[in-house]
Amino acid sequence: SDTALCVLVDSREISSGADVISSLKAVHGVKVQVCSLGSSDYVVSNRMAVERRFLSELLSSANRNKVTQRLQHLHSMFERVCVIVEKDRTKPGETSRFLQRTQHYDATLAALLQAGIRLLFSSCQEETALLLKELALVEQRKKAAICVPTEVQGHKQDMLWLSLSSAPTSPCSAPLSFHALPISQHLSCAVSPSDIAAGAQVSLQRAEETYRYLRYGFDVHMLPENLCAKGKSSSTTRS
Amino acid sequence: MAAKGNVPAAPGSVIVPYGHVVGNEKWRGSELARRLQGKTKLIFEDGLGLVDFHLSNRICVLYISEADLVAGDEFKRRLVRFRNASSLGGIVIVEKTPLSEQYFSAVQKLVVLQLGMVLLPVANQEEASQLITQIVREQSKDHTSNPFIRKQCSQLVEASMFRTVQQIPGVGKTKALLLLQQFGSIHQICNASVKELEPVVGQTVAQQIHTFFGS
Repeated sequence: SDTALCVLVDSREISSGADVISSLKAVHGVKVQVCSLGSSDYVVSNRMAVERRFLSELLSSANRNKVTQRLQHLHSMFERVCVIVEKDRTKPGETSRFLQRTQHYDATLAALLQAGIRLLFSSCQEETALLLKELALVEQRKKAAICVPTEVQGHKQDMLWLSLSSAPTSPCSAPLSFHALPISQHLSCAVSPSDIAAGAQVSLQRAEETYRYLRYGFDVHMLPENLCAKGKSSSTTRS
Repeated sequence: MAAKGNVPAAPGSVIVPYGHVVGNEKWRGSELARRLQGKTKLIFEDGLGLVDFHLSNRICVLYISEADLVAGDEFKRRLVRFRNASSLGGIVIVEKTPLSEQYFSAVQKLVVLQLGMVLLPVANQEEASQLITQIVREQSKDHTSNPFIRKQCSQLVEASMFRTVQQIPGVGKTKALLLLQQFGSIHQICNASVKELEPVVGQTVAQQIHTFFGS
């Protein structure tokens, strides 16, 4: 194929997955676009998000709620979700940790399977990078690769944020529909859904969803209380 | 446990009663079968072909032991034959041991990325029995109890708008809520002038928001 593979990486992965990122770039020659994805660790195609989780996080039920909420949200935004279960790093001088398999872990795997979430297992960050590349390749073959303007600069990089954080108004719609258009164009009063569809190369239906989403009238009473900041804003919600 | 059966699994060819596991005759007396009994209702059948266990009418397990991995490529042919002949959901359970670890990533690539099947590693038959038990349990549960299954309509537009606005640099939960309440829609926030933004979020953030949208 003539187009370079592209993977979007959440900025938080710079600290927790430095070897994944450098391996993607240096070993696999993948174009890495770091941006504030917020919801997921990686995005490998315009429909697939990848979440990287340490084995220890899934073995222990202490993180249950955190993991569940994140995947639930991802699952509502992306058509396809994949979890890479990565073996925990051993610190220098530490003999490799033996992690006891738990019933919670097996139950989590079973629930993920049932929900149609894909699972991959990795022994280290370098292998995670390889798996990400392979996933992006498979998606490219299925014509779902990410189209990002070759050079995105300055704040325009952040045009990705809106697309990736804007959950669709209906399940399965494309969260990446912004890609080919800068935010300012999306937001100008003159732009119509058909302009978005043409510019971002998405279906008219998806463009209409995006259009409506940006103009949707916010009603604070519809905001789930658990999302609000503690303290003062929860009283706002109730008012 | 290399399967020698030639009959590929056809959907509906094996009826699995609710809460049961139908096992390939060749597993009778194995540690895995012994551990499954008691936790699930295991019955054996002849002629399951390539399949080791049927967990429901739609889902079955193909088991690849450490010995299969070391022995060579026979297991690959078996997986490809299964994939070509069957429309059942195939879960491949593979023994990942210190000895067979080196083969794991190649097997994963074949099973997940090329054949589009599910691959789950276990250390031994005991772990496999626990995993199968949990899968069977999950199958028999009501779908609504699965926390990962997409809940239609549970995603309120307000919730995602709230999240979206928090992605603007300098805007957290409190300011996101103020902005949305004041301006009503994302479109309005983006098109607001610094002067309009200032009373809501203060001078610095107002400038940041304006720069961010670069209009």
